[in-house]
Amino acid sequence: MKKIAVIQITLILMISGAGIGMLLYTDVYEDVHDTIVSTLCLSCIKLDPISRLDFVFETANGKNHPNFVLENLTTGPLFIEYRTDVCAACDEMAPIVKDIFDVSFEKEDTLYELVNYNGSTVHFYHINLDHATEIQKNSFPIYDKDHRQGVPMFVVITVKYHRGPIEPCYTAAYGTVGQKTEEGRRELLTDMIDDALNLYTQNKEGYKYP
Amino acid sequence: MNLRFKRLISQFFFLFSVNLGFKLGNVFPGLKTGFCYPLFYCHACPAATSACPLRAIEIGVFKGNWNWKFILYPILIISFVGVISGRAICGWACPIGFLQRVTGKVPQKLKKKYPVIKKIGNLRVEPYFRYIKYVIFIGLVVVTPIYIGFMFTDVCPVGYLVGTIPISVLEPGGFTPNEFFYIALVVFILFLILIFTIERGWCRYFCPIGAMLAPFNKVSIYHVHVNKDECVNCNACSLACPMSIDVPNMNRDPECILCGKCIEACPKNLISYKRSLK
Repeated sequence: MKKIAVIQITLILMISGAGIGMLLYTDVYEDVHDTIVSTLCLSCIKLDPISRLDFVFETANGKNHPNFVLENLTTGPLFIEYRTDVCAACDEMAPIVKDIFDVSFEKEDTLYELVNYNGSTVHFYHINLDHATEIQKNSFPIYDKDHRQGVPMFVVITVKYHRGPIEPCYTAAYGTVGQKTEEGRRELLTDMIDDALNLYTQNKEGYKYP
Repeated sequence: MNLRFKRLISQFFFLFSVNLGFKLGNVFPGLKTGFCYPLFYCHACPAATSACPLRAIEIGVFKGNWNWKFILYPILIISFVGVISGRAICGWACPIGFLQRVTGKVPQKLKKKYPVIKKIGNLRVEPYFRYIKYVIFIGLVVVTPIYIGFMFTDVCPVGYLVGTIPISVLEPGGFTPNEFFYIALVVFILFLILIFTIERGWCRYFCPIGAMLAPFNKVSIYHVHVNKDECVNCNACSLACPMSIDVPNMNRDPECILCGKCIEACPKNLISYKRSLK
């Protein structure tokens, strides 16, 4: 057998063995699917979604709100920041979010904290999709209001009158929230939270945890 | 069926395959997989099925985090394809290669009209330009993501072509340019100028996937074989080669994309595909 054939066979065996091993014994397939293919990289498209801050009742994928959201809504609105490890816009937005809620976290962390925002209680979640639990990961498509499938995504969930009962409603902003300046980004996020708090104050009495 | 037509069918097939991620209402949910493409295509395309291997590597090395899964996985996929067929993927499957096949007629005409373009191809330093793609791969896909967090895919012209433009068209007014937009636009314009002035200019000089595949031409099972003993050095093969390879003197050239143009051009049928695993 020629020397080149030996090299070729060795390479094929090594590469296919390592590749099959990776697919069988690691979650690389799921990771690539979840963090690259299914989650749109906003820096890859060189665009920033323009956020429409209307509160809606229908979840983005038609699934029910997760339990942790429904339960927390009995005591205050929720603010959820979704991100991934590698995300330029997430890194830009993180200091603003930390400053607004006076919280500290590392980007790899998944954090829940009950925070005091201008005298009101807000449930703050920092969810890194690369390290989050299944329940937290599954909540991402539920609140992907504009179907951007991109991070960072900032979601505010509150309660509102809906043809009779008081039900959870939410809005979402993406990327650098379509604002060029830090002040603009901060203002948009605080507007979102203020609107959510106003709605919550008006409607909290009627909300029942199902 | 001649090689040119077979290649056209193959390129259409792969163009369709890499875009199976499109959604057709409730009829077809779109195929999104966890594989990396072994060719140059962007997952930011609304219809993309898989991930860009460069992005996976960039995520793997980003700011020195060393996520080995993300580094090894695309390398293994590309290596597997490389050992089997070398850079044939560039000539037979890559949608950007296909695009350059379509635009390839323009440089050929420009060469005749403007001698300066022909001169670029004949420059003594031209072979050294081909190393630029290795510099881009090492520099912008590996080194800058580690040290400054800047990634090639943030300004990638292919991402602009198949991601930014379609998304902007599908949803006008839904997006605003981010900080990479204008840099990527300039890179994209340069990319267009390149592919319209130099045949396979992107594959030759800049493609980082080509840089990953090229070394495998030296050991690939499928390769182009020239019967040098009977060659009359008419140079018809070199003139036909879109990668400007000196075909009669090549021996598993890293630039060869196995497109088969030399095979068709040889008047004595001395060039053929060869499968060396025997």
